[in-house]
Order: sequence, then C-alpha cells, then structure tokens
Amino acid sequence: MISVRCFSCGKVISNHWDEYKRRVDGGEDKAVVLDDLGITRYCCRRMLLSHVELVDVLSPYQ
Amino acid sequence: MEVDILELSDRSAKFVLSKVGMAFANGIRRAMVADVPTLAIEYVNLYDNTSVLYDEQLALRLSLIPLVTDLETYMPQAECTVCGGEGCPACELSLTLSSEGPAVVHSGDLISSDPLVQAADANIPIVELKKGQKLVLEAIAHMGYGRDSVKWQAGIACGYKNVPIVSVENCDACGHCAAECPKSIILVEESGAMVPEEDLLKCSLCRLCEKVCDINAIKVSFDENAFVFTMESDGSYTARDLILNASDVVKGKAEGLISILDQL
Repeated sequence: MISVRCFSCGKVISNHWDEYKRRVDGGEDKAVVLDDLGITRYCCRRMLLSHVELVDVLSPYQ
Repeated sequence: MEVDILELSDRSAKFVLSKVGMAFANGIRRAMVADVPTLAIEYVNLYDNTSVLYDEQLALRLSLIPLVTDLETYMPQAECTVCGGEGCPACELSLTLSSEGPAVVHSGDLISSDPLVQAADANIPIVELKKGQKLVLEAIAHMGYGRDSVKWQAGIACGYKNVPIVSVENCDACGHCAAECPKSIILVEESGAMVPEEDLLKCSLCRLCEKVCDINAIKVSFDENAFVFTMESDGSYTARDLILNASDVVKGKAEGLISILDQL
C-alpha cells in the first residue's frame, strides 16, 4: 500500500494515489498529473513516482 | 510586527511577517511543527485482521491519518486535569472500523465516537481487502505534540526566508545576470537589469547574479527583520487556525517565563 504521508515533509499523499494511478494508466504524463494534484515538492512527488503496489502480489500467500 | 498575507487557503498559507527578529520567526515555525497539539491514533485493538498487512503496519498507517482536531474539547493526555493521564473523554476518543473484502478500506470508513472528530481526508487508503479478508478494530486517539511523534505534527513544510533586496547600480545591461538567474526574475531593459516588485519574493538569495556580474553592478541582500513564511497544514486544523494556535503557544510560553521570573 502507498505510504500515508511523504517520508520527508509529512504531507498526506496516499489520498491522491487512486487518481494518479488511474490517470497515468490512462496515458497521461506523470508530471502533469502530479502538478494537477497539487503535489509540488519533489519529496512528495517521488513518493508517488516510485511506488510499486504489492498487495496483489502478496495476497495469494496468506 | 506586521503580517501581510500573500496566499491563504484551507490547507496552506504564504505570508510576509515583518518587523520581528529571526528568533521570533523561528519560534513561530517551531511551534507550528512541534508545539501545537493534535489528535492522532495512539492505540489500536485489533479483533480481526486477515489482510495483507501486519497489525503493526496497520497501526502505523492508522496513526498517520490526520484527524480534525478541536483544541477546546481535548487536551494532551499527560496534562489532562480530569484523569491525570489515565485516559478519559477529555483526552481521548475511540474510533471503530469494520470491513470485509473485497473492498479498499479508506479513512472515511472509521466511525468516530465524536462526530466532530473525523479523518481530515476521507479517501486515504488504509488497506485493500481481497475476497474473504476481514478487518475489525478499535482505535484510541490521543492528543499529542509534534515533538513526540510525526503523527501529531500539524504543520507541514513550514519554513521562511528573509525578504530579498536586489539593488542595481551602474548596470551596462549585458544580460548575464538574467541568463544565470534560476528563477528567471531579472528583466534586462535599456536602462539596465531590474527585478519587478511582484517577482522579488521569488528570489532564492542564491547570488548567482552577483557572481556572474563582471562590474559588480547587481547586489543581493536581505531584510533581517522581514520573512516570507510558507506553511501547510495536514488538515487537523485549517492553516489559519494553525498559525493562530502556534502564536498562542509562543505567547503562553512567554507568559510562563514572565511568571517564573516574577517569582525569583
């Protein structure tokens, strides 16, 4: 699951994940999406840019 | 002291604080980050958790969710005058969560015992439950200080810089400074380089323009008693309330110091 807050500054970023994922999967430019979502600092931007969702990978192994 | 608000929204603010010393400006900044108490989940009783996350990870995620805080109703537990730190309705509240997959559990699914205290953002994902996975828990939220844990930190990215002063004398309008400026705020006209007033606050005081100028025509300095403040709130308070609460904290500490000095 995406981290609730940015590691560095503490801004809540996880609430933007669903929209970010949907729009990036839809072919939009990541930088434009992040700007639209109001995520301006590079500490917060890397949180979404570098996130890999592992829930689907892990869920069969419970 | 003068305050000139440049931007003010629900969650963020930018203002110029002038005619104060740096110690005062830093006091306000530190109070916003560390000394304004907020509510955050501190204990979690897990009755059922078959999700992909461990109990501890779930508790961490829950604790980081900002809760809308009412400074009047709740007080930090260690300072609670009603129970003396044991835990009572004046210093803690409980939130419950019950969900069964397939579903994504969001912060908005937390049911608070106090209708005024809710998650500041309702769409923070807590965990994704697959078919057959269950999550049942009760969470206890306390008031606490940002200096003790990041979960109680209301102010985000609070910072300030001095108000820049850019002066140009005997400029030959070569344009090197304008090319060097990373913020692109220097305009070169026939009479020489200049920074428009509305762009002056964008100057980051990097002094690259000074270094690149061969004839030392451009000088960058700053006003020692004026600060451009930027701050954001995590949602537990509005930006305005957070600044006011931080000022109250500084004021309270100053009054405490005076009363101690009076007793000497």
